[in-house]
Amino acid sequence: MRVSAVTVRRRLIFILIAGMLIFGIFTARLAYVQFYMNGWLTRQALDSWSRQIPYEAERGDILDRNGEVLATNVSRPSVLVVPKQVRDPVKTAEKLARVLNASKEHIYQLITKKASTVYIKPEGRKISNEKAAEVRSLHLPGVFIAEDFKRHYPYGRFLSHVLGFAGVDNQGLIGLESYYDDLLKGVRGHVDFYSDAQGNRMSSLKDKYVPPKDGLDLVLTIDHRVQTIIERELDQTEQKYHPDNAIAIAMNPNTGEILGISTRPDFNPENYQNVAPEIYNHNLPIWRTYEPGSTFKVITLAAALQEHLVDLQHDSFYDPGYITVAGTDLHCWKRGGHGSETFLEVVENSCNPGFVELGQRLGKDRLFSYIHKFGFGAKTGIDLEGESTGILFKEDKIGPLEAATTAFGQGVSVTPIQQIAAVAAAINGGYLYTPYLAKEWVDPETGEVVSRNAPQLRRRVISEETSKKVRYALESVVANGTGRNAFVEGYRIGGKTGTAQKVSGGRYLENNYILSFMGFAPADDPQIIVYVAVDNPKGTVQFGGTVAAPLAGKIISDSLQALGVKKRTGGMEKEYRWGDEKMIEVPDLVGEDKQTISEEYYDLKIEAEGTGDTVIRQQPQAGVKLKAGSKIRVYLGDKNDAGD
Amino acid sequence: MPKAKAAPDFLLIAVTLTLLAVGLIMVYSASAVWASYKFDDAFYFAKRQLLFAGMGILAMFTVMNMNYLTWRAWAKVLLGVCFLLLIVVLIPGIGLKRGGASSWLGVGAFSIQPSEFMKMAMIVFLAKFLSENQKHITTVKKGILPSLALVFSAFALILLQPDLGTGTVLVITCLMMVFVAGARIKHFVFLGAMGLIGFVGLVLSAPYRVERITSFLDPWKDPLGSGFQIIQSLYAIGPGGLFGFGLGQSRQKFQYLPEPQTDFIFSIVSEELGFIGAVFVLLLFCLLLWRGIRIAIGAPDLYGSLLAVGIVGMIAVQVMINIAVVTGLLPVTGITLPFLSYGGSSLTLILVSIGVLLNISRYSKY
Repeated sequence: MRVSAVTVRRRLIFILIAGMLIFGIFTARLAYVQFYMNGWLTRQALDSWSRQIPYEAERGDILDRNGEVLATNVSRPSVLVVPKQVRDPVKTAEKLARVLNASKEHIYQLITKKASTVYIKPEGRKISNEKAAEVRSLHLPGVFIAEDFKRHYPYGRFLSHVLGFAGVDNQGLIGLESYYDDLLKGVRGHVDFYSDAQGNRMSSLKDKYVPPKDGLDLVLTIDHRVQTIIERELDQTEQKYHPDNAIAIAMNPNTGEILGISTRPDFNPENYQNVAPEIYNHNLPIWRTYEPGSTFKVITLAAALQEHLVDLQHDSFYDPGYITVAGTDLHCWKRGGHGSETFLEVVENSCNPGFVELGQRLGKDRLFSYIHKFGFGAKTGIDLEGESTGILFKEDKIGPLEAATTAFGQGVSVTPIQQIAAVAAAINGGYLYTPYLAKEWVDPETGEVVSRNAPQLRRRVISEETSKKVRYALESVVANGTGRNAFVEGYRIGGKTGTAQKVSGGRYLENNYILSFMGFAPADDPQIIVYVAVDNPKGTVQFGGTVAAPLAGKIISDSLQALGVKKRTGGMEKEYRWGDEKMIEVPDLVGEDKQTISEEYYDLKIEAEGTGDTVIRQQPQAGVKLKAGSKIRVYLGDKNDAGD
Repeated sequence: MPKAKAAPDFLLIAVTLTLLAVGLIMVYSASAVWASYKFDDAFYFAKRQLLFAGMGILAMFTVMNMNYLTWRAWAKVLLGVCFLLLIVVLIPGIGLKRGGASSWLGVGAFSIQPSEFMKMAMIVFLAKFLSENQKHITTVKKGILPSLALVFSAFALILLQPDLGTGTVLVITCLMMVFVAGARIKHFVFLGAMGLIGFVGLVLSAPYRVERITSFLDPWKDPLGSGFQIIQSLYAIGPGGLFGFGLGQSRQKFQYLPEPQTDFIFSIVSEELGFIGAVFVLLLFCLLLWRGIRIAIGAPDLYGSLLAVGIVGMIAVQVMINIAVVTGLLPVTGITLPFLSYGGSSLTLILVSIGVLLNISRYSKY
C-alpha cells in the first residue's frame, strides 16, 4: 500500500506542532525556575558562593559598683580555615602544625573536611597575637585569622563563684556569666565574601560585613573594697583554722545590694579546670542549706517583740539548764543553765530554754507565719543560678517539740542568703528585700546606662519600733553577751552568734559544727550586714563566738572604714570579762611631769623621748582608746618649750 | 530532477547565523574564567570555536550548492565507514577516553566523534532506504524491521562507549523519519512499549543511570554527588530572573558549573541574559524547526522530505534533551546544545547538515 503525500505532510505538521508544544513547556519551566523559584534559588546560591568569617562579639565587662573591672576580655584570635580554598592541604597542614604545635594529621583531617569553614580546634583556638601574626605571615590560601577573645579576670580568684566563667566559645557557663549570658554575650558578626569554587573572591559581588554587637557591661552591687576585705579575712581564717569550708556575705541591709560575697574553697575562673567540679558548681552562700543554730533566734526574737509578748528589760526567766517540752528535755548550750535572767540577758546569753519560752508564747502558728514572712522556705530570688529553697517542718507535722527546737534554730534547714535577707529585714525597720548583684547595664560604646535595677521590696515584716528593739538587743549581745568577740570600738556592732550542728545520716555529728555570726553596724543606722560561717574549724573551741564573731567584726569594721562610715559615740560600752582585752582611753599627758606619769599610768607603756622633765607632745592624742599594754610615745622638753 | 531555484531559505540562513553569533559570544563568556584558569588564555575556547564556525560556514555554503541527491549515492559507503569507525573507537588504545566514555578518534583538538558522523550517515541512508521502500513501510518485515535493525545496531555500538545521549538522539530522530515515511501507528505503540521495557532494563543494568534518575527527581538529596550538576545549573538559571545579571556577569561560571561552555551553556545564557535571553534562544530554535519542517513539506520528493525532517529532527531533539536536562526536567545525559555549546566536530557537522537543508530548500515546490 502506498502512503499518500498527504500523510507525510500531515505527519510533518504533527511533528512541528509537537515540537512547538515542547518548546512551550520549556518556556513555562524557565518561567517557573526564574520567577517562582527565583528567591529561594538566589538565597541558596548566595549561600553556596559565600564564605563566612565570623567576628566574635566582645563579651560585656563585669565591674564593681565603683567601676573596678572584675571580668574583661583579652584579644585571642582563632585560626579559621575555608577547606575549599586550601590549595595544598598537605603543605598547609604541615606549616600550620609547625606554628601551632599540633599534629599534621589532625590539621590535615580538619582542613579537608566538607564544611564551609572549620576552626583548628583546639590548638588554633584563642592563640596569642604573636602566634596569629606568625600564621598570617605564612600567607596560606584559605587560612584566616578570626577576631576572638578570651575571658580575663584581673583579680584572679576574687569573687570567683559569683562571677563564674565563660567557656571557649565565649558562652557563660556558671555564675553571673551564665545567669546574664544573653545580655553579656552580644551578637556574633561576620564577613561574607563571595568566592568561586577555587576560593577566589568574586569581584562582581560586594563583601558583606555584619558587625558584631558587643555585649553590655554589667555593673555589680559588689564593692571591690568590701570584697577584698572579705577575701583577705577568709584566706586568713582558712590558714588559721583549716575549715572544711567557709563563707561570708556582706549586704546593704537597706536595699538588698550584695556588697561582697565569697566562699572557701574557691578557684581561679581562668583555670577552673584545676579544681573539682563540686567546688565551682556549688556557690555555698546560696546553695548550701543547714540548721542555722542561734543566728535564727533573731527571727523568734523579732516575732515575739512584734507581737508584744515580751519586755526585754523587765520580764525575767529562770534557766535551770534545760526545758521540758512534750516530755523531752531540751538542754541549754550552757551546762547548769544561766539561772535567773532578764529576756535581754536571754538574748545576750543565747539561752535556748529562754527562746523556747518565746516560741511557746508565740505558738507554732504565729512562729511559723513569721518564719515564712521573713522569707524562709522560699528562694530569695537572688540573680544567680542554683539557689536552694531550704526545708521547714511540714505544717501538719509540727508538734510542740518541733516548734520549740525551731525557736532556737534547730530542725529547720536554711541557706545563708535567706538568713542574711531575713535578719536584714529584722534590723532595717522591717523591710524584706530581695538580695541582688546586678546593679546596672551599661552600653560599652556610649557608656550610657541602659537599665538600672532598683531594690526589690518583697514585704514589710515588722515595725520600725520592733526593729529598733531588735537592734538594741543585738548590740547588747556584742557589747555584753556571746558576741563580744565581734566588738569594735566606735562602730556599734550588733549581732548574733550561731553554732550550727551538722547532720549526717540522720544524726548530729560530734565536734563538727558550722560556726557562724550575723552582724551589722552601726546599730543606730545599719549600713552593712555581714554573715560569716566557718565549717568545722580545727584547733579551736567550736563555738560561734570564738571563730566567727571576730571574723565578722573585722569585716564589718574594715568595710565601714572603706565605705567611709563615721565612727559613732554613745554606743554601748563593752562589759569586760576576764580574758578580754581592755581598751584604755589615752589620757592627756601634755604638761605633766616625768615623775607623775611614770607612777600613774601603769596600764599603758610610756616611751619617752628627748630630754627634759615635762611632756610637750604625745602620740596618740588624748581620748583615743588603746588596748591595755599599748605604747604611748611622749616627747619631753622644758616647761617653757610647751608654751610655744 | 526539479530545477534548482536560485534562492535558498534566507530565514533559515539568518536564524543559523544568529544562533552561531549567540553561540560564539556565550562560549566566550562562559569559558573565559575556566580558560584563563586552565590555559591562561581567556580566549582559548572562543578562538577555537570561531575557527570551527568559520570552517563550518564555509562547509555550509559549499554543501548548500551540492545537490542533495548526491548524498544518496554515497549513503551506503558513508554508513559502512561510520559503522567501522564506531567499532574502531571501542578498541582500547585507539579510542580516546573523555569523561568516562571512549567516543573520540584522532589526536588532541583534531579529534572527531564517530557517533556524530553516524547520526548524519544514518539519516541519509534511512532517507534513501525509506523513500525507495515506501510501499513496504506499513509492513513489519520489509518496512520497519530492516530500518530499525540498522538503527538499533548503531545505537547498541554507541551505547557501548557509553554515550546514551547521542544514542537516544539517533533513535528518536530515526523513529521520526519512519513515522513521517508513513509507518503504522500501531507499530509505534508496540515499539513504544518495547522501548519502555528496554529503557527500564538499560537503566537498571547500570547503577550510575539509576543515580542520575533519582538525583533528577530530587537533586538536593545528594547535593555534592549525583545532584550536583542539576543544582549548580538551577543556581545559575533561577537567580537570573527576567533580565539576568548581564552579559559576562555569571557567577556560576566561576567553576561551580564544570566546563560551563559545553553541556550547561544554556544555564549561563539564562543566568546572564535572564528569561528574556533564554526565551530568545528558544525562539530561534523554534524558527529553525519551523523552517526545517517547511522545507521538508516543500521538498520535491519523499527522499528530500525525509532527509530534511531527519536533519531538523536531529537538531531539535538534541536541543530539547539538552534544555530539558539543564532545566532539571530530565536526568543528566551529557549532550551538547547545537550551535551554542563549544565543540568543533559537532558544530561543523551541524552546519554541514544545515547546508544540506538549505540545498533542499532551493528545490522547494513553493
